[in-house]
Amino acid sequence: MTRITLGGAVLRGTVSTALMASLMAAPALGAPPVDLSKWSPEYVRSIAGTQDFDTAGDCAKVTPLDYKGRLTFWYQGVFEGDPDLLRQYYKDFFATFRKTYPNIQLEEQALTYNDLLDKFRTALLGNAAPMAVRLQILGGTEFASKGYLQPLKPEDVGYSTEDFWPGAMKAVTWDGVTYGIPTNNETMAFIWNADIFKRAGLDPNKPPATWDDVVKYSKQIHDKLGIAGYGLVARKNAGNTPYRFMPQLWAYGGGVFDEATPNPTYKQIELDSPQSKAALQASYDMYVRDKSVPVSALTNQQADNQPLFLAGQLGMMISHPSDYNVMLDLQKKATGTDKDKAQTVIDNMRYGLIPTGPDGKRAVVFGGSNIHILKPEYVEGGKVDEPAAKAIICMWTSPEWSLKMAYAGSNPGNLNGFKTKWMKERLDSIKFLDVTTSMLPYGIPFPALPQSPEIMNIIIPDMLQNALTGAMTVDQAADDAAKKVKDLMGGGL
Amino acid sequence: MTIVSGKTEARLRLQSGWSGLPRKIWQHRADYAYVLPAIAVMLVVIAYPIYYTIELSFFNTPPGLQLRDKIFVGFNNYTAILTSQVFWQVTLNTLIWTFASTFISFVLGFATALALHRDFIGRGVLRAILIIPWVISAVAASYIWKWIYHSDFGIIGAVLVELGLADRPPNFIDSVSTVLPSLIVVNIWREFPFAMIMMMAGLQTVPDQLLRAAKVDGANAWQRFWHVTFPHLRNVSTVTILLLAVANFNSFIIPWIMTGGGPSNASHIWITHIYELAFGRQRWGVASAYSVLLFLILMTLGYFYVRALSGNERKDGSA
Repeated sequence: MTRITLGGAVLRGTVSTALMASLMAAPALGAPPVDLSKWSPEYVRSIAGTQDFDTAGDCAKVTPLDYKGRLTFWYQGVFEGDPDLLRQYYKDFFATFRKTYPNIQLEEQALTYNDLLDKFRTALLGNAAPMAVRLQILGGTEFASKGYLQPLKPEDVGYSTEDFWPGAMKAVTWDGVTYGIPTNNETMAFIWNADIFKRAGLDPNKPPATWDDVVKYSKQIHDKLGIAGYGLVARKNAGNTPYRFMPQLWAYGGGVFDEATPNPTYKQIELDSPQSKAALQASYDMYVRDKSVPVSALTNQQADNQPLFLAGQLGMMISHPSDYNVMLDLQKKATGTDKDKAQTVIDNMRYGLIPTGPDGKRAVVFGGSNIHILKPEYVEGGKVDEPAAKAIICMWTSPEWSLKMAYAGSNPGNLNGFKTKWMKERLDSIKFLDVTTSMLPYGIPFPALPQSPEIMNIIIPDMLQNALTGAMTVDQAADDAAKKVKDLMGGGL
Repeated sequence: MTIVSGKTEARLRLQSGWSGLPRKIWQHRADYAYVLPAIAVMLVVIAYPIYYTIELSFFNTPPGLQLRDKIFVGFNNYTAILTSQVFWQVTLNTLIWTFASTFISFVLGFATALALHRDFIGRGVLRAILIIPWVISAVAASYIWKWIYHSDFGIIGAVLVELGLADRPPNFIDSVSTVLPSLIVVNIWREFPFAMIMMMAGLQTVPDQLLRAAKVDGANAWQRFWHVTFPHLRNVSTVTILLLAVANFNSFIIPWIMTGGGPSNASHIWITHIYELAFGRQRWGVASAYSVLLFLILMTLGYFYVRALSGNERKDGSA
């Protein structure tokens, strides 16, 4: 059992404050449009609906509305785990863009999170990339470091760098140059089924406070009810895995490097530290020792957990606020008694902050997406229509659309989005949004390194799989992963 | 009929200035002209990629560098592959996958072909049903089987639990020890109809009078099969086995969709591993070296395939 000491608490407080300051502090050049130091659900409510924006008017200053051109554009679009509401906003965005810029011939292509990187990398090898691309937050640095992207900062499309989350701007900066603009940023939250908690003898209105509690609660739910407690996800090559394991790793005080510190250097590998091993041990305890999580965790992703949760077969999981809407969509599709069962689950769905580590550290992945413009030599046809690319980027990253496109599952990349009337509408209609926006200050960006996609999508899931299948012990799996990261950073084969 | 003396022939050869291979090529110039477009296309879409893959296999391609900035490392990629523990694990998986899938698919296909060769009511319907696994999309089949095998809510598990044969659903694809056999079962299910069709076609060529004659001579069913039917099917069997082996060596869809090579690399075979190295980890150099090795293996199998086909032609020609 870990004791929380005064020294630990002071240290924890210092680190948390420094981390929050790092994520929230405004650069010296200007002040952000919202006061990040006051960030709380109440503050977010107080600023929602306080300002109107003229998207077409703002973007007309960047690219005239009668501009004639052609744009090829790939983006990480909606996938099977997203709610219908979001699908509609994506349709609306492209319809509005075509209406606003009727003379720009837009050829857009949607790809899922897991497919986009593979396809984009392959296209780049053949100089057949699109002119503009919207990538997951993890991908920006890789392509910037390789020289595929054009420098692009918010000022280039009529906004200010201070309009965006400082943490998100870090993810689009390589070697001091900005190569993209964040479209949306989000943090996930902890979701539980109050009815399952009650039946398992747990307080239905109190989520587990620490990750150690998650392990205990998961076991209790499984032992009492015979269902899975916590929705562990450990599939390889799926973004869901790092988004769920990294908060646990950081909470225990571990990390891949020092990415959870205020000023990370990414020099020291921490995957084999005792703290990282403790986090991995917690997953091992749930999967192997207690058998309290889905056995299918090794081949599943979050989209597979959603139906289990809706069927009342899963007690807890980490996910977006959009999962509430996903549950509503799925419930509509259910028939007979399943419909009533699903409604019971929805009525008992609760959101809370992600648990802390033994030392009280709370962390979550600062996720999101960025939009970029490619250099002409890597684009099919060898030409980039910059005004057309800036037109779509201006629209997508506007306060209006950066909010609408993140309506159910994320938050606007442009902080002015929080001031729009749609944010107010959203706070009233999207249940539990407060909780996930409250997690934003705890967000930690993935290491801003070109090696990050491999570390997060392959090495971390491999480490989990090696430990959970018994192919390696927890210690061996963590040491093996640390060695792989070391080799990778050393340019090894 | 024109008679050409030895002297005249020698003179003709001298006049033309050519002899041997060039002369033959010249004589068949029209044939070569016909196949030239196909050869040109093959050079672009096959020969160049092969050349580039071989070239790339001698370079390191770290994730922070563009491919054009690749670093020459000589045979390091090959050394790294052969000394890597994963290589041997993946190779063993590939061999088990290929041999088990090929052998069982062939035996099952052959047995089904023999059963369907007899005349009985409903034979046509049964034949059509058995072909279904082969004609449906491998991607769709993989997703369906993933749910059938699901370690928590799969149909097989649910039935076993419901019948009281198991306390909890068996772990098919989330365990390092059962994942590969489980995937092999899916692969066999999908490709045994191919073997069945090939062998059914082969069975049509077995002369009925020989079988009848053997029966008159007192040969029992097994003897008729072993001494008459099987020898006639030897060549079609060889071709079927080789085609299955090549297809299985190159198999990608089922393991990639169902498990992504996991858990813990337990279902990674060469192709899925190469894909992950190239597109997931951007180790184009190492992936190319793997591809070169795989190419050599498949070329060897291809050689035997062509030899088997040539053997057929020679026998047909001499008959």
